Amino acid sequence: MKQKALLIYYVALRKSVCPARIRLLLLCVFLSSMASAQNVVTGKVTDESNNGMPGVSILLRNTTTGTTTDAEGNYSLNIPSSTDQQVLVYSFIGYLTEEETVGGRTVININLLPNIETLGEIVVVGYGTQKKSDITGSLVSVSSEALREVPVANLQQALQGRAAGLEVQRVGTTPGSGARIRIRGERSVSSAEANDPLIILDGIPFEGGNLNDINPDEIKSIEVLKDASATAIYGSRGANGIILITTKRGTPGENRISLNSYYGISTVARKYPVYNAEEYRAMRDTSPWNGGYMPEEIESINTGRSTDWQDLMYKDGYITDHNLTVSGGTEKSQYSVGGGYFKETTVLPGQDFSRLTLRITNDLQIGERIKIGFNTMNTYSTRNGASINPMFNIISLSPLMPAYDAAGEIIKTPAGNLDDQANTYSPLLLKSNNNDWVDRVRRLRSFNSLYGEVKIIDPLKYRINIGLDYRQEENAQFRGSDSYFRPLQGNTANVNNTVGYGYTIENMLVFDKTIAEKHRVGVTGLFSVQKDHTHNTYVSKDSIDQDFVQFYNLGQSNQSTTNLATLSGSETTWGLISYMVRVNYAYNDKYMVTLTGRIDGSSRLTDKWHQYPAISAGWNVIKESFMENISNVVSNLKLRAGWGETSNQAVAPYATLGGVTNLIYNSDWNTNRNLPVLYNFGENVEGGYYVSTIPSKKLVWEFTRTTNIGLDFGFLNDRITGTIDWYNAQTHNIIYNLQLPPTSGVSGTYATNIGRMENRGVEISLTSVNVEAPSGFTWSSDINVFWNRNKLLYLQDGFQRNIASGLHIGHPLSAIYDYEKLGIWQIDEADEAAVYGQVPGQLKIRDISGPEGVPDGNIDPDNDRKVIGSGQAKWQGGITNRFKYKGFDFSFVTYARIGGTIVSGVHQPTAAYLTNLDGKRSGLKVDYWTPTNPTNDFPMPSTRITPPNAGNAWTTLGYYDATFVKIRSINLGYTFSGNVLSKIGAHAVRVYTTVQNPFVLFSPYMKAGGVDPEATGTGTTGFVQNGGNIPNRALTVATSTPPTRSYILGVNLTF
Amino acid sequence: MTIKKHLHMKSISKIFLICLTALLVPGCNDVLEEHPYTAFTTQYFESEEGLSSAVVAAYAGMRYNYGPVGALDITAFGTDEWSNGDQALNQDLNIYNVTTTDGSILTPWNRNYWHINLCNAVVDIAPDVEMAEGDKNVLLAEARYLRANYYFLLVSQFGAVPLDLGSGELKFNTEPTTEFYRLPVEELLVKNYQAMIDDLTFASENLPDQRPVAAFRLSKAAALHLLAKVYLHRGYSAAKEGNDFQNAYSFAKKLIDNKETYGVGLLNDYADINKEGNDYNKEIMYSVERLPLNNAANEIGSPGTDFANKANQSNNMYNCNYQQAVPATYYNADLRGKSLFTSRVLQYGRPLRRFAPTQWLFNTAFADKLNDSRFDNSLRMVWLADTWEEEGTAAYDTYVNHLAGMGLALGDTAIYLTKTDAIAESLKALTGTKKKHYLIVGPKDFYSASNATFQVYPSIKKFDAVKRANFNDASGRPFAVSKLSETYLLAAEAAMQTGQTDEAATLINVLKLRAAYRPGLSAEEITSRYDKIKVDASAINLDFILDERSRELCGEGLRWIDLAARGKLIERAARNPQAVNIKAFHVLRPIPQSQLDAISDPDKAKYQNSGY
Repeated sequence: MKQKALLIYYVALRKSVCPARIRLLLLCVFLSSMASAQNVVTGKVTDESNNGMPGVSILLRNTTTGTTTDAEGNYSLNIPSSTDQQVLVYSFIGYLTEEETVGGRTVININLLPNIETLGEIVVVGYGTQKKSDITGSLVSVSSEALREVPVANLQQALQGRAAGLEVQRVGTTPGSGARIRIRGERSVSSAEANDPLIILDGIPFEGGNLNDINPDEIKSIEVLKDASATAIYGSRGANGIILITTKRGTPGENRISLNSYYGISTVARKYPVYNAEEYRAMRDTSPWNGGYMPEEIESINTGRSTDWQDLMYKDGYITDHNLTVSGGTEKSQYSVGGGYFKETTVLPGQDFSRLTLRITNDLQIGERIKIGFNTMNTYSTRNGASINPMFNIISLSPLMPAYDAAGEIIKTPAGNLDDQANTYSPLLLKSNNNDWVDRVRRLRSFNSLYGEVKIIDPLKYRINIGLDYRQEENAQFRGSDSYFRPLQGNTANVNNTVGYGYTIENMLVFDKTIAEKHRVGVTGLFSVQKDHTHNTYVSKDSIDQDFVQFYNLGQSNQSTTNLATLSGSETTWGLISYMVRVNYAYNDKYMVTLTGRIDGSSRLTDKWHQYPAISAGWNVIKESFMENISNVVSNLKLRAGWGETSNQAVAPYATLGGVTNLIYNSDWNTNRNLPVLYNFGENVEGGYYVSTIPSKKLVWEFTRTTNIGLDFGFLNDRITGTIDWYNAQTHNIIYNLQLPPTSGVSGTYATNIGRMENRGVEISLTSVNVEAPSGFTWSSDINVFWNRNKLLYLQDGFQRNIASGLHIGHPLSAIYDYEKLGIWQIDEADEAAVYGQVPGQLKIRDISGPEGVPDGNIDPDNDRKVIGSGQAKWQGGITNRFKYKGFDFSFVTYARIGGTIVSGVHQPTAAYLTNLDGKRSGLKVDYWTPTNPTNDFPMPSTRITPPNAGNAWTTLGYYDATFVKIRSINLGYTFSGNVLSKIGAHAVRVYTTVQNPFVLFSPYMKAGGVDPEATGTGTTGFVQNGGNIPNRALTVATSTPPTRSYILGVNLTF
Repeated sequence: MTIKKHLHMKSISKIFLICLTALLVPGCNDVLEEHPYTAFTTQYFESEEGLSSAVVAAYAGMRYNYGPVGALDITAFGTDEWSNGDQALNQDLNIYNVTTTDGSILTPWNRNYWHINLCNAVVDIAPDVEMAEGDKNVLLAEARYLRANYYFLLVSQFGAVPLDLGSGELKFNTEPTTEFYRLPVEELLVKNYQAMIDDLTFASENLPDQRPVAAFRLSKAAALHLLAKVYLHRGYSAAKEGNDFQNAYSFAKKLIDNKETYGVGLLNDYADINKEGNDYNKEIMYSVERLPLNNAANEIGSPGTDFANKANQSNNMYNCNYQQAVPATYYNADLRGKSLFTSRVLQYGRPLRRFAPTQWLFNTAFADKLNDSRFDNSLRMVWLADTWEEEGTAAYDTYVNHLAGMGLALGDTAIYLTKTDAIAESLKALTGTKKKHYLIVGPKDFYSASNATFQVYPSIKKFDAVKRANFNDASGRPFAVSKLSETYLLAAEAAMQTGQTDEAATLINVLKLRAAYRPGLSAEEITSRYDKIKVDASAINLDFILDERSRELCGEGLRWIDLAARGKLIERAARNPQAVNIKAFHVLRPIPQSQLDAISDPDKAKYQNSGY
């Protein structure tokens, strides 16, 4: 079977890269654009309320000549002069197709009427499409308009703040960084991945993560499925929500060439606040550091010289994106061929991300009953500098030290203290790279889907979807001898190659029929199989003979026994077999019921098969006769309610098997890593394997039961529309790694289904046309507001908290457990401070309790810490305001996140070493205490700032209110029409300018000295030291590339 | 038209056929079966290589028990031999303030069960493995010896411990359990001893006669030795059976009488037994191995900082603070405030200063330091001036000058601990050209909890390890588990317990004669010295045996168990002035709190040893 899948795949790949085929397609394009004598027909297509309809397909019957209407519903079509009767076909999904004989006319205006059968908008749901008015679950669509109006680098940016219930958190600030997407909170403690939503691209699960593989320009629409009644059809993978992505495909009509391009410059939005020479000197003289000034520093003091390391390092970055697509087709055959190039650099040298994409789609109608099609999506991306981070040196280097010597050469060791001089090299060395280092991730992905559809007998349809996916990634790292990264050390390199591939085969039977006009029945049945595989090979080696070899041949190195290479690898394969049935029934468009049942068999479990039921119902109140009286005010009203059960993929492949390993964890003061189990018999060294985990045969999925109640409404002829959803998701069987007693004979923990978790929340979405002036001026708004309350309910008997794992019963998973900072001990509090063994200028921590249950005059970790906050927002939301006047469009996107605590690692003295005020180095400029500056912000520069028994209380200096309101982007565009278009022979032209990340309206954290109110990641990534207080789900700010603001100029052209 | 339609129908059925195939093909259940490549399951043990690798890991696990800090702490502290050095880390064990959360007791508790389970796996899985029966029996015998030794170490510290880990007694546990199968304790202890005896009987019949010349794979000799020891210990325990001492005697005697068959023998010179570079000598039957300078083979991440895990720190734990600055009260003004060693040196290692000899060991056990060579060959009294710095460096010259300032040169005696105070006084009295420039410390000034003026004391030198990359590093030497000399002691003790005191004296006098030997001495001199230390049958009793064990084996990781197993701990710990808190219940260690916390039974107390 494996061979067969590969064969199919091989053929598809051959197809996708075969140059002959591309040539043929291009030939078609050119042929069809050649024309003889022409007539021009223009006109406007309007809908039932006389609004212009964009995107209506117009086709000259029995030809490939066609077009689509522009944003205002206008069209212009060149048709050949002919004596034959010419008929134009106007079609749009959800509307009745109109045919109009041209008969020599040059202007034809058409009014399209909604198709009663498929009244209203069609939305994509799991394994099919559905009328929006029939939907009984909770889902939200990100409109193609919203996707189009702001140029984005990736899918996660496109989703950020766009949909209620969807939270997108970036992970890292370098170009090409990933993101953490959460729908309605988290429900698993076992791993971050276990909380990731399932992404479905053109019906096929998009495995292997990495949203950067998707070119956002190729996305037509995105649907986010949220509640169990919407996601239960994905059964064991539905609990974290589903993101359905539909890509653009060819439409019938004229061959179109469209070009979407933009170019932008990014600049540092806000520099880190640092000390200038004078301020640093003041801090250093106050501090206990008595290392003395370097001769260069004394010179600076005398001459008033000050070095701004940030200014010297930062440069302007750029972001650019070009997409060329050729598409078109006839009623029977549509195609599209597109290529894209994207590149983003940043303000630091050596960090960039670029992506090349090539995509071909084809849809073919064969006869009356058969339709087939494919989509091949190929991405090649390169990410540089993802793991280089010179920010610590940039921020902490002495502003008293010069960067260049008298001859203008970079001073190699510019540290302002003797200890660092030997091993701190100037970050300016990064600006040139003379075989100094390589930090590159090259990635190739080929994601292919094919389908075939057969109308067996009306209304029964069979469809097969086949997905073939191949992923390859090489992560190559090299650090040259005595380079910035290896001061006074030899070179080192490592290469990690990862390959992944998989297939999906889905067989579907779809039945759709309206019986006796009032009973609409839809049945979808599915049988699907999916298998996915990844493996990697890693090699690390130092002492390479020459730096220019880099990582390319690690054999060219010293290979003595003390310089052996480190080798490792891993392999994962999993499979899923599913059966699903969904029944939709609607009576008279008023009452709707959806029943879903799915059975999933997973390779990951010993007890493989589990069932997932869901039920939901809808009531179209607006269809009731009693609503007729107020129909001029209320134009839509629908109640929905649903219940269902789903799971998330918290069981990793092979987790139930139990295992033996040849690696043993070794921890001491210097090393924390796995070592191979070895033993020697005399000189003869042999490897050993031992039992590391007991088989977890009873391990099953975590099950989430969600109840959802929703209300869809529309007022004033749908000028105001919206949705409110309330949900309660109870997850049970949470997998927790129990520490077994040593006498069970296994060294590790044992994963078992034991815990419970809760997520409750409310989501509100609103769309409103605020102004619709006769002059053509319109102002409309999209608003979403939502909140989620996550709570860990139970883990095991007697379990209250596991501080190291960040688990606290009754609190969210992002809870922070720590001391509470009251301020700084002031001079007049000296006596009180002495009780705690402290002096004025040191951290004042709340004495919560003591061994006797009351405050004891001693701050210690056992009695004086509590849950002091969490990363959970009180509420969050986004507003997009759009203004249109004639050809102009203007919009801006506002995003607000209210409440919660952000952990600023950069402000935690011993996490980032930027505010430890030890004088030895400079750092972030903070308001520190001195006898003459009685602040409560930061303690006085001192060797000890904490109470004697609370050595980690420095962490309290990093907690800030995470609230912020931010303008994400401002966009201004102009769409050309009429004469201009025909002059340049274009079908549509839009030029626009965008400012991304223009400004922050409100942020207490920035007011206190932060550079960006949005976290740079989660957990302790990028921290030097963890005070033991940060759960891996907390929002954290690490020392990273500063926030940037981009100014973008772009054009959308269609010929 | 009809032809066209026909074609049409044909193509439809063709497509249908394809679809049907696609529908059926993945139906094969292979998709739902896991066949991991890199994630090994216990299936791996069902091959010869796999089974053998499990045995290797079981050997490697023994390293936790021989050499690391915790393993040394629980066998040395609180005994008549050893008290605290001046760095009183983990002194709770020494002063008998032992708590259920004590880290050192976790060394056997947290490490040994999963190795026992690994041995269980070998024993359970071996019958299904296709390999030569002979080779398989050797692997089985090795696994069963190791399982018995893991149990022996646990039982010696904690009393009865579970044989059932969740899947039945002595069965490979595949059931995650939070049960603790320790009750009833009395019954379990009987089973514990029987299991050890069964395993070791099997091992003593199936292991090869001899170990390889320069490697410590287990042999019949090692198995017979441990078998005799287990019988002996059971003879003292609540699980004792009538002929335990007799059995102990016969198995020990079998080994002694068939030395040549088993390829073992006593060395002529006691000094050679523990000498670095002579680790594979024929007197040692089984050592837990390490390789000099090979961190990977020794499973050490960082040899300078690894105080847990499997690092052999025996070379550092007994060292006194030879770097200490000489007190201002010292009689020789040239030395006051100065350190004789400005850097640590390979020979003397890292001064971890954990164990200092008790006065009893120095004065009583080794009362005769002349005729019995074992004192001089076990404890360091002299430190020669040396440096880690390389010749030609500025630091080297600085040290040479530093020595010259005290009237010393490299290689000179730097610190001299005298055997009597009289010697110290007479040396200090020398003046003029005869004046001694080195640091002289007599026994009354050796470090003790009540006298910390000088942080120096006689330090065990059996574990000296010069073949290391750095003076702070852990040792790359094997750590001896069983030596033929101890077999003689076990045999003698068993003989005594069965009333054969003559035989006991004969056996012990073999060791006494060897102790009298020093290279260069004439045969008459040796005989004369032997006459002064040899023992009469009338003097043989348990205390004498224990004293003799100290003289022969002191510092070798045996003492606490030796005393506790023989019911002599309370009485003999009184010779350790710091062990004042000791109570009767201290003959067993507490069941660790982490174990009790991890079990589901809320009534934890019933599993705990009494007194804790």
